[in-house]
Amino acid sequence: MANLGFVFALIGAAAAALFAGMGSSIGVGRAGQAAAGVVAEDGSQFSKVLILQLLPGTQGIYGLLIAFITMSQIGVLGGSADMSLAKGLAYFAACLPIAFVGLVSGMAQGNASVAAIGLVAKDPSQFGKAMIFPAMVETYAILALLVSILAIFAIPGLTI
Amino acid sequence: MAVVPMKRVTIAALRKDRKKIMEFLQRRGVIELQNNIPEDEVFRKYDMSAGRQTFLRNRGRAEQALNVLNTHAPEEKGLLSGLEGRKTITLEEYEKGITERNATQELCSRILDLDKEYAEQSAKIPREELELTALEPWMSFDLPLSFSGTRTTSAFTGTLPGQQTQESIELQFAELEPDLKKDITILSSSPEQTCIFAVCEKEDSARMKDALRRMNFAAAPLSSQVPAEEKKSLEKSIEEAKKRKEKLHEQICELAPRREKIEFLIDYLTMRADKYEMIGTLSQSSRVFFVEGYVPARSCEQLEKDLVSRFDMVFEAEDPAADEDVPVLMRNNGYSSPLEPVIESYSLPGKGEFDPSFLTSLFYYAMFGLMLSDAAYGILMAGACAFVLIKFKNMEAGTRKSMKLFLYCGIATIISGFLFGSFFGDAPHVIGETFLGKPDAGLKALWFEPINDPIRMLSFCFLVGLIHLFTGLGAKLYVYIKNGQILDGIYDVVFWFMLVGGAVFYLLSMEMITNMLRLNFIMPAAVGKAAAVIAIIGAVGIVFTGGRESRNWGKRIAKGLYAVYGVTGYLSDLLSYSRLLALGLATSVISSLFNKMGSMFGGGFFGAIMFVIVFLIGHALNIAINALGAYVHTNRLQYVEFFGKFYEGGGRKFRPYQATTKYFKFKEDI
Repeated sequence: MANLGFVFALIGAAAAALFAGMGSSIGVGRAGQAAAGVVAEDGSQFSKVLILQLLPGTQGIYGLLIAFITMSQIGVLGGSADMSLAKGLAYFAACLPIAFVGLVSGMAQGNASVAAIGLVAKDPSQFGKAMIFPAMVETYAILALLVSILAIFAIPGLTI
Repeated sequence: MAVVPMKRVTIAALRKDRKKIMEFLQRRGVIELQNNIPEDEVFRKYDMSAGRQTFLRNRGRAEQALNVLNTHAPEEKGLLSGLEGRKTITLEEYEKGITERNATQELCSRILDLDKEYAEQSAKIPREELELTALEPWMSFDLPLSFSGTRTTSAFTGTLPGQQTQESIELQFAELEPDLKKDITILSSSPEQTCIFAVCEKEDSARMKDALRRMNFAAAPLSSQVPAEEKKSLEKSIEEAKKRKEKLHEQICELAPRREKIEFLIDYLTMRADKYEMIGTLSQSSRVFFVEGYVPARSCEQLEKDLVSRFDMVFEAEDPAADEDVPVLMRNNGYSSPLEPVIESYSLPGKGEFDPSFLTSLFYYAMFGLMLSDAAYGILMAGACAFVLIKFKNMEAGTRKSMKLFLYCGIATIISGFLFGSFFGDAPHVIGETFLGKPDAGLKALWFEPINDPIRMLSFCFLVGLIHLFTGLGAKLYVYIKNGQILDGIYDVVFWFMLVGGAVFYLLSMEMITNMLRLNFIMPAAVGKAAAVIAIIGAVGIVFTGGRESRNWGKRIAKGLYAVYGVTGYLSDLLSYSRLLALGLATSVISSLFNKMGSMFGGGFFGAIMFVIVFLIGHALNIAINALGAYVHTNRLQYVEFFGKFYEGGGRKFRPYQATTKYFKFKEDI
């Protein structure tokens, strides 16, 4: 039980990659269905709808990023794996924002992307605006990412 | 650097010059036609749709012919040929193309005829091949399939279902017609069917037929030829069709070098059709016609000179009235013009607004650079764009602009990459450590590495955001002053400057905030106090003026209080700039991740190969995803945070009457 802190930290890292990745896959998947439908009607819209489809994909990357930073700090990727239980729990907590917000915002951004793809299908000249709607959702994923990053970078300096 | 001023132009000319004038205007492409003259008994619009339809029909045929050529003899195109742009042709080539247009139309007809026959031959081959397979079971039969007997006998040729033997057929006959005299020959049999030839005496023919019917007999396909011979003739016919097809294909391919003529014809017919459409909108009497429209002011004088010297006409140019819906054309220097499409996809400047391209360009490239922030990625991006820009001089204007946009963004990325010490992430360090045995190798950041000090980077992002937002507010003040609404400018902009700016300085005088943001300076308490006072004055000002459109003071104050609440909007706007940090970190952390993965196979030769593979795939992926992210979020910061402060848009794009051709560009002076 000596390494329980390490286990919690690793669970946190896994959760970040897991939930954010799930959110992105759902979002990108939904948008992909809509995009394929548009391309079936008009192949020249491919590059535009592809960009819109990829927008909900960033949450997964943010999750990966947090997971990677956590893993490298707790020593999974080489180095020592000793840490106190409190520190491990702190890492776990730091991973939570991007895990949960990543999941929910990935799905929500997917829905916004589907609608944006529909908009581009009807009027390709509105692409610039269509891109903004999904990007609005992403703001919250970025804020969560920020909290996770700032927290994780602060943990090594804590004396707990 | 601005919205191009427009002139409203009216031309009155003689109808005999109509064709030439309209062609001249089309080639010039500087006037947007807009006819507001009402129809009356003398001046009216003519319906030109019949003529236009003829051109469109002919163009349709030419396009079909071009399609045929492209399927039979596809043009060899390089990967980047889409960037080449339209070919430019001279006046002589243009005139020559016009004189040749009848010949070209005949060429199109010939291609379409050849293609029609090609399609017929193509359809014939599988049809005859099918007949050939149907004939296969009858090959051992040496009479025509239609043979029906001699003078005294009746013959039946056909199939019975399923695989049958002599005995099984005899058995069935024994049940149905036991005493019928007959002779049955099995020609071939397969699990599906058995082909038989049955002969009986002529008077038994009806009984035979009835018995066969009950056995589900089906007559053979009628043919007056012996199957073997028919097979031969079918094979010959198929062979011939194939040869013919080959020949037709060659003939079509031989015509492929004349593809350009057809392309010219398509462009020419498009121009003619457009011209007819435009003529349909003109006001004309029996002798005179009017052209009305908008012309950019700087092209106006030249146009007048050229027109008046060539034709008898009255040319009038005047400034448009204030309430007119004037089309918008933007014109900027080389640094800002790549952003015009970005502005356009938001909205063109509306009435009384200025073109924000220049202001946007001050931030756009830098923000993109901060988000991608990797020197190597920047070099790749800028290099690729520069290569394309140099290689394809003739690129279409729109493509050229976006290439330039990414060239500048790439350069900004290089700068920020060196500032923050990222070159393929930490690749110099990883390569040095793993392969060269130098653990202290690495690219030194010119400023600092955000990954080691994210808070410092965050403060820097907020500073960038604050400058961005204040520039937006300043732009709004400029618009107010330009439109003479000085008081509105004070109420809506200066008070906000005081409130937000004062609040920022006040916060910077608090130790808690500076510690949190890890700033190494702090505002003196006196400055903090002064800032607080300024902020309060601003806030009070907003409370009293924020709802100034209401006459009722109670309502007005309530609305003003609500307006002050808008300060939370500034907070969230400012927080939004943290994406600069987040996306920058994402790029560098993910590239470090790939470098680490690549180096896991150790040093040595095998390790080096694996490293190269992981490196190439990983960084290709990373650059694609993060460049997309940087592009989207740079746009968002402009559209939402920046434009939200001062820019509404709503202008209508200037669409000049010009040759909208697909394959050729005509030189200005033809």
